[in-house]
Amino acid sequence: MKVGIVGVGFMGTTHAAGWADTPAKIIGFTAETQQEAGDLAKQYQAKIYPDLGSMLPDVDVVDICSPTHLHHEMILKVAAAGKHIVCEKPLARTTQQAREVVEACKKAGVQLLVAHVVRFFPEYALAHSTVAEGQIGKPAVIRLQRGSYRPKKPAGNWFLDEDKSGGILMDLMIHDYDYARWIAGEVESVSARRVTELHPDAPVDYGLVILSHHSGALSHIAGAWAYPPPTFRTHLEIAGDRGLIEFDSDSTAPIRNLILKTAGSDAPDVALPSSPVSESPYTTQIKEFYAALADRKTARVSATDGLVAVQIAEAALQSAHSGHPVKLQSLAEAQ
Amino acid sequence: MTRIGILSFAHHHGEAYISNLRRMQGVELLGVADDDPTRGEKIAGQNEARFFPSYEALLEAKPDGVIICTENNRHRPLVEMAAARGVHLLCEKPIATTLEDARAIVEACDKAGVLLMTAFPMRFSAPLLEIKTRLEYGDFGDIYCFNATNQGELPAKYRAWFVDPELAGGGAIMDHTVHLVDIMRWFTASEVETMYARSNRIFHADDVEVETGALEMLTFQNGVFATIDASWSRPQYWPTWGGLTFEMVTQRGTVIVDAFRQNLNVYRDDWQRSNWAYWGSDMNQAMVGDFAAAIRENRPPRVTGMDGLRAVEAALAAYESDRTGQTVHIKNL
Repeated sequence: MKVGIVGVGFMGTTHAAGWADTPAKIIGFTAETQQEAGDLAKQYQAKIYPDLGSMLPDVDVVDICSPTHLHHEMILKVAAAGKHIVCEKPLARTTQQAREVVEACKKAGVQLLVAHVVRFFPEYALAHSTVAEGQIGKPAVIRLQRGSYRPKKPAGNWFLDEDKSGGILMDLMIHDYDYARWIAGEVESVSARRVTELHPDAPVDYGLVILSHHSGALSHIAGAWAYPPPTFRTHLEIAGDRGLIEFDSDSTAPIRNLILKTAGSDAPDVALPSSPVSESPYTTQIKEFYAALADRKTARVSATDGLVAVQIAEAALQSAHSGHPVKLQSLAEAQ
Repeated sequence: MTRIGILSFAHHHGEAYISNLRRMQGVELLGVADDDPTRGEKIAGQNEARFFPSYEALLEAKPDGVIICTENNRHRPLVEMAAARGVHLLCEKPIATTLEDARAIVEACDKAGVLLMTAFPMRFSAPLLEIKTRLEYGDFGDIYCFNATNQGELPAKYRAWFVDPELAGGGAIMDHTVHLVDIMRWFTASEVETMYARSNRIFHADDVEVETGALEMLTFQNGVFATIDASWSRPQYWPTWGGLTFEMVTQRGTVIVDAFRQNLNVYRDDWQRSNWAYWGSDMNQAMVGDFAAAIRENRPPRVTGMDGLRAVEAALAAYESDRTGQTVHIKNL
């Protein structure tokens, strides 16, 4: 299996490390900034392609780790060439775009695997299986939280450009919309607020979202770009009618660093969660995607999951803007 | 000597207030009365307090103030009776279960010129007072939002009426919305403008008729927004009754508050589970102390009847939103 990777930022780099742990061969990289691609290409003895089009004839799979607003066009191009796709979350910038790419991949008969990596984090995977096994009964109120600092990347920071990334309600909080839906099923309505809606110049951003599920369960999702670097914290609470699951990254960190700061030390541009485990969740994810592509095994996250997560995120953006709850059309069943 | 009586032990806080009153200088527990004489006499006996055969009899003994611990929907007649006799009032929360009663309670006390305090003990929580002081000092700049929880176990084990839709005025929403609404009003000095709420009855579905799970999204007139998790989502074997937490997001970053975090972890052979033993300061003591001091100094208490009314408005708006699925705009009275 020959893989080409688009984008060499944090995710491109992380995915490359995952592919390197599978029998697949990384053929090459392409990115807006060719220079950044150089180091990775050298590390994996791969080529640098000037663009996606020139890479396509050489690969079986394209792993898209480009900024969100570029996903739509790239997926359509890859699907048209009959190649499989792994795509970073969010699957697309809008629901309409996400529908189009899912449809196009279905028509082209290619797989579309969406990197909702939270499903592969051991604590989140264990909580899911604990619920799925019925250990805590029926989920009633779910609380999911994810927070760090604003992505830094000073040069043309697409994360902070709402048109490109969707901002905190889409880029960060989509992880937990997807997870809430994995736990409690389809979502009926979405109510959201965020700091920058009211205070565009605020030095922080913070989103709060309430999801009502068809099952009657309620999910509370909080996303923060409001902590000092290098903080990254996540919290999970699933309260069921026969038990409760709690996870807090602060209190379960096996190592606490009280190391004196040295000159020049700085936080990374984008914070990533970390608790030492023997295999990176990003690698677990890529291995499962490899098995889906190589052996037609079903991955734990589908293209439809990627689509519906975008739909929830878009509803959250609408709700935060209008101040009113937004009802969701049932896209999952239509797929 | 400030003489204070307790009317009813329908609310289990009544018993705690006996010890709070006993611990104070310059305060005398005049006695107690209860329309459930078996319950009242028993508690009076256990605490060596004087038992009055009726509420009227206690009020005839001319207390300076009384603490009302009836069921939530039975506050009004006792407030009116005490106010008419010029007796100051500390009333359990929620101050009423309908807007009509809440308004009547506030008006009766205004008219009679007696003090009316709502039992919102969180206003006397040492960690929350610390935050309030830092807010006033300007440590945080502007507040943007709160992500708050007031989660508890099903309170039926304390008193059966806590889960009675009529007597309690509802379930988790009525029980838990008012505390955080009051804290946020206190911190922001602003009033709730809109309320959106969703509830369910999945916890204890077969045991109670009222909602047991609830999430709320509210906005304040000054633009601050918040969510409140008011759910009775703690299992009965949780290490304590529940808790109250919030993340407050401000211009200067975020502060995370867990008001009941000051605990020892206690592990005992005979319990076979962990237990949290609270060592933080007793908020009820400070609250009852402020009530007595307000009477003595003839000044308003630090939390008023109007604060109680505003919190009930918000809780009732949450019920309306839950019924309609829409955001409710609150018109302050």
